[in-house]
Amino acid sequence: MNIPKTQIVLSTLFVLLSTTSYSNNNMSSFYSESTFLALIILSIVLIAISVLLYGIKRHLTVLNNEKNKQEAEPSLYERKFRPIIEAWNPTVATLIIAGAVMLFLGAFGYKFGMEEVGVQQGYAPTQPINFSHKIHAGQYEMDCKYCHSTVEKSKSASIPSLNTCMNCHKYVKASEKYNGKTSPEIQKIYNAIGYDGDNMEYIEGYEQKPIEWVRIHNLPDLSYFNHSQHVVVGKVECQTCHGPIQEMDKVYQFSNLQMGWCIDCHRERGIDSENNDYYEEAHKNMLAEGKDYITVAENGGLECSKCHY
Amino acid sequence: MSSNNYWKGLEELDQTQEFVSSNANEFSEGLPLEQVFSNEDSTRANRRDFLKYFGFGLGAVTLAACNKTPIKKAIPYVEKPDHVTPGVPLYYASSSVSNLEGFPILVKVREGRPIKFEPNKEATYFGGGLDGLGHSALLSLYDTNRLKGAMINGKRKAQDWISFDKKVTSELEKTLTSGKSIAIIRGGNTSIVLDEAIKEFSSKYNNTNVISYNPISYSGITRANKASIGKAIIPAYNFNQADVIVSFGADFLGTWISPIKFHTDYSKNRVPSEDGKMSKHYQFESLMSLTGSNADVRVPIKMSNVSQHLVALFRELGGNTPHQGMEVVGNNIKAAAVELKAAGKRSLVVCGSNRQADQMMVNAINMMLGNYGTTIDTTNHFNGHLADENDYSAFINDAKAGKYAAVITIDANPIYSNNQSKEAFAKIPVRISTAITADETTVGATHIATNLHPLESWDIKQPYQGRFVFSQPTISPVFDGRHVASSLLSWAGTDVSDKKEVSHAYKYTKKVFTQIIGGDFNKAIEHGTVDQLQESTIPSFNITGGSIADELSKVKGSETELILYQKVGIRDGAYGNTPWAHEMPDPVSKVTWDNYLSMSMPDAKAQNLNTGDVVLIKTNSGGIELPVLIQPGQAKTTYGIALGYGRELPEDVKNDLKDLGKNAYPLVDTKNGYANYFSGNVTIEKVAGAKLYEFGITQTHYSIEGRDIIREASLDEYRKDPKAGSYVHKPKMISLWDDYDYTKGHHWAMAIDLNSCTGCSACIVSCSIENNVPIVGRDEVRRRREMHWLRIDRYYSFEAPSKKDLNLSIVHGGEQTVEEGELMTKEKVMEAYSADSDPETAYDYYQNVRVAHQPMMCQHCDNAPCETVCPVLATTHSSEGLNQMTYNRCIGTKYCGNNCPYKVRRFNWFRYNENEKFDYHFSNDLGKMVINPDVTVRSRGVMEKCSLCVQRIQSAKLTAKRDNRKMNTDEFTTACAQTCPSNAIVFGDLNDKNSEIAKLYKNDRSYHVLEELGVKPSVQYMTKIRNINETNNQPAH
Repeated sequence: MNIPKTQIVLSTLFVLLSTTSYSNNNMSSFYSESTFLALIILSIVLIAISVLLYGIKRHLTVLNNEKNKQEAEPSLYERKFRPIIEAWNPTVATLIIAGAVMLFLGAFGYKFGMEEVGVQQGYAPTQPINFSHKIHAGQYEMDCKYCHSTVEKSKSASIPSLNTCMNCHKYVKASEKYNGKTSPEIQKIYNAIGYDGDNMEYIEGYEQKPIEWVRIHNLPDLSYFNHSQHVVVGKVECQTCHGPIQEMDKVYQFSNLQMGWCIDCHRERGIDSENNDYYEEAHKNMLAEGKDYITVAENGGLECSKCHY
Repeated sequence: MSSNNYWKGLEELDQTQEFVSSNANEFSEGLPLEQVFSNEDSTRANRRDFLKYFGFGLGAVTLAACNKTPIKKAIPYVEKPDHVTPGVPLYYASSSVSNLEGFPILVKVREGRPIKFEPNKEATYFGGGLDGLGHSALLSLYDTNRLKGAMINGKRKAQDWISFDKKVTSELEKTLTSGKSIAIIRGGNTSIVLDEAIKEFSSKYNNTNVISYNPISYSGITRANKASIGKAIIPAYNFNQADVIVSFGADFLGTWISPIKFHTDYSKNRVPSEDGKMSKHYQFESLMSLTGSNADVRVPIKMSNVSQHLVALFRELGGNTPHQGMEVVGNNIKAAAVELKAAGKRSLVVCGSNRQADQMMVNAINMMLGNYGTTIDTTNHFNGHLADENDYSAFINDAKAGKYAAVITIDANPIYSNNQSKEAFAKIPVRISTAITADETTVGATHIATNLHPLESWDIKQPYQGRFVFSQPTISPVFDGRHVASSLLSWAGTDVSDKKEVSHAYKYTKKVFTQIIGGDFNKAIEHGTVDQLQESTIPSFNITGGSIADELSKVKGSETELILYQKVGIRDGAYGNTPWAHEMPDPVSKVTWDNYLSMSMPDAKAQNLNTGDVVLIKTNSGGIELPVLIQPGQAKTTYGIALGYGRELPEDVKNDLKDLGKNAYPLVDTKNGYANYFSGNVTIEKVAGAKLYEFGITQTHYSIEGRDIIREASLDEYRKDPKAGSYVHKPKMISLWDDYDYTKGHHWAMAIDLNSCTGCSACIVSCSIENNVPIVGRDEVRRRREMHWLRIDRYYSFEAPSKKDLNLSIVHGGEQTVEEGELMTKEKVMEAYSADSDPETAYDYYQNVRVAHQPMMCQHCDNAPCETVCPVLATTHSSEGLNQMTYNRCIGTKYCGNNCPYKVRRFNWFRYNENEKFDYHFSNDLGKMVINPDVTVRSRGVMEKCSLCVQRIQSAKLTAKRDNRKMNTDEFTTACAQTCPSNAIVFGDLNDKNSEIAKLYKNDRSYHVLEELGVKPSVQYMTKIRNINETNNQPAH
């Protein structure tokens, strides 16, 4: 009797583990790998085997009992579940079981549904180059704006083009870690732009191939977001939305990017109306009303067409 | 003027039962609910069914959820160009694609793709506007039917240019020894780069004949000027200096010569100044043209009588002639002559006839008035449309006789627009086309040296003598085309391969610039125009008006006549593959996607025809079958057909633009040695058994129900009281809501001057492109589902009759029902004609209508009725006075559309950009490149409407905030206001006291449409003032 029990417990554990793995930020994601699928198949196979084994065992027991003319031992269901169900109202019991099944399926659907509409907090895909923000922004304390150079001018912060990388990596090859050879990750830059790392020169007539990064932060088409507005005018730190980026070896989505999250900040954050001539009038009104500061919301930052058009 | 005198269409005027019932509903077609409910089974759902569907639904959701979220890529540049910032648009000065002669514009480019044209405000001579077709032609860049590269005998087979050039050169070189010639058929492109290339080509191939070809001929003007002043030119017309304008059938605001520039010039004098002065415009014409709809005095005449009218005007002005000429009704020629004389050299007479003698008479009249040197400039003259059809017919004859061994077509599609061409081209063994897109001429071409699209190439054009307009590439070539100049030079033996990534076309353009213009090339490219004008001189005249009058007086008018005209949106048909232009309603008839036979009401009644009846019209040149459209204002016994339709595109052309209308070019009468667009003596017969044709017409969509929407007054009244025409008593406003204080921050508003607005509809197309408004096609327009955020309402009203008219048609049975000068209400006219016993004159009144155009878009009401009925708060109000529409919240109840008094909300019935049924470039990957990335592409099931270009507002605010400065609201404007060639639309911040809008809001002519509803609109209109002498326009209230 012990074996099937363990089997059931184990397979349930597997299922639970595989479904919860997604909420763990630092675990490798199942988006790019088929781990999740494999786990599901594995648990289904295990469940099937345990059911089969249980069936065989039961059958053998029955045969054995017949042979020995012994009274059949009541089944697991008869022994354990039936008294409980019988003790309860059968309707209530059915409802509870059905409810549990629906809750499970519903939770499953909800989780995937959220991803389907683009809520993917914790999303950390594998990138074509294992670029580490921990080394660049953390260890070497490079300014974010050095690479994400359009963040103060444009709606998009923009991923740097390869010639920005080459400003340093023309010389920096991290070869000390690789026995004097160029780091394979840096070599990927050279392969894309056409640079001969050994002779330190660009290759003439090379057919360049851009790096296809996987986009982590995906706002839907229906909302407009402008980096320069938040960074220059709002003076928001990168980390406020992107989290401790300087500690990330692999970048993951820190915030959920849902509207409620935007709105929360707009409700609380003040406008630096004192130091921007655009807000001159708003600043005067604020002083007249005897306030210390006005929030983005008070300046109309919750109105629909500020972000949706 | 009282509101109930206006009507938008004949159905509304007649109040036909169909119209009344369809207008009572919000949507013209009901939802097929009854059909669904009549099926008994479907109305009853039992418990089992419910559980089945519920279970299936849950399962389906779970299954659907098992999809992987798609991985999106972000691909940066390998080496980013310095000037490109992803997310920030770049503007390049260039030349309009649809104006072959050249017209300066700016091209807005996002991440390397042109997404919109904007007027080049620096090029003030050309006026700061752009027309609907100009905007629409942007789609020709993203047309899937573009030719992909060099082709031989219709096949591409990876033709590289080197082997292609070898084959073409050997074919051309053979002609040198054959004794036969090479013809270059050149369209109206005024490119000086092309000039030079052709010169170099001709120096190698000395058997080359260059033949200019325009589908629409202006040879009447060029020949007349050759005879009168010795120069075969079209002069530059300065409408801005004209106080009195008299036009005989010239649609100079719509299609004649250079309408965008004329628009700006014309509108400068159309707004009454503080001392009550504005220009006066007489229009004598047959069809109701856009220009005629804006005239102060419009006189319906037959164009076959135009010569006689010119003689009459000549005589009235004191010209030396014994001939009387002709005056139709009233004393309009006399009145015009008096005003012309008074205006002296600040006047202008123009004529749309293509007969040389008519144009010589116009020249003589203008000379008498002293207009040369003021309103007419023959020194820095116009350079387009100079082709003479005699040159082309000589080519046709020679080609048929086998004198040509090769033909090269450049910017021309003669097989479509000249029915002699096909036969002649078939006789020429080598036919080289340099087209961009597959068309009638490329089908039969042996070699196709695909040209670069104008947005991909360098060019210098010279639309006016001494005024140069530059083009520069705004996108890297989408397909493997090559600049036509490079092609010609390559065949002439020059090496045209690109050196070190610098194209040959660039070097050659720069070389031509240095040779001909000189100066700083980069600066010229940056600004887009360079002027090198000569001082204007007044030409001396060779021929007197008297002798021309002798000739003209012999011209006989015809019984019936057919007038071939161009539509404002389509023009000569060269850009027939641009769906935005087809979807733009014609400014007067409001028909989309079709051409038709327009006829007057009296004719239709006499022949028992109705709008939609299919008829066969026969002229000396042939006949075509077309549906009838009854056009108020059209002169009796004249018929009109628009050119530019009926393209016979190759079979593999993909999209729904084939089979639109019928080709009317074969009906152009060339028997008298010139292309005559007025054919005399035509017959019309109803096609038996033909189905009633339904137009995609927006005319009476959204009716006015007799409300006071449009206001107008005469100039006399305006002089007495600048508030004339507006309500005398303003309604007392009681509001259900607490008023919001808009005096803080911004308060966006718009002012539209009905005096400047000509109804040209450029704003509609500009708005559609800026805001990703889908194209829905003819079938959906029939169902009243056009998506335009901005429409232009066109209202007709009857003119007050003159004494003579009274005798003609208002007095019936000895009883005079209308006093002279009394306002003609709809009812009075109806009463008059229903009592008329004389069928000949019963409906003549339909010839004398006035037109008012009114752009209508979301009025952004402070107390918006749409907002209060939305169950999900998808439409709300902003603190800046904007009525906001949030698409992702909308669930499509359409309550808001129902409750909107202005009927400006549009419902997305389909997902137009992902639906194969709507194959108008938006549903393919190439066409999607034109989409504005700053504006959401709406899905089906949501409402949408004008946002006052909120993306531009936000962007301008952000720029000011980033620059740490106060905002100057005149620094940006909406897409409609920006493109308006007559500056009728002004947008801005009412709280900025120095802005133009704040000043206009205090103007006496201002009023809000339906202000009695108390919805407090943010869009304000300004009463239309007509320069007429009536004093009867008292408010009815």
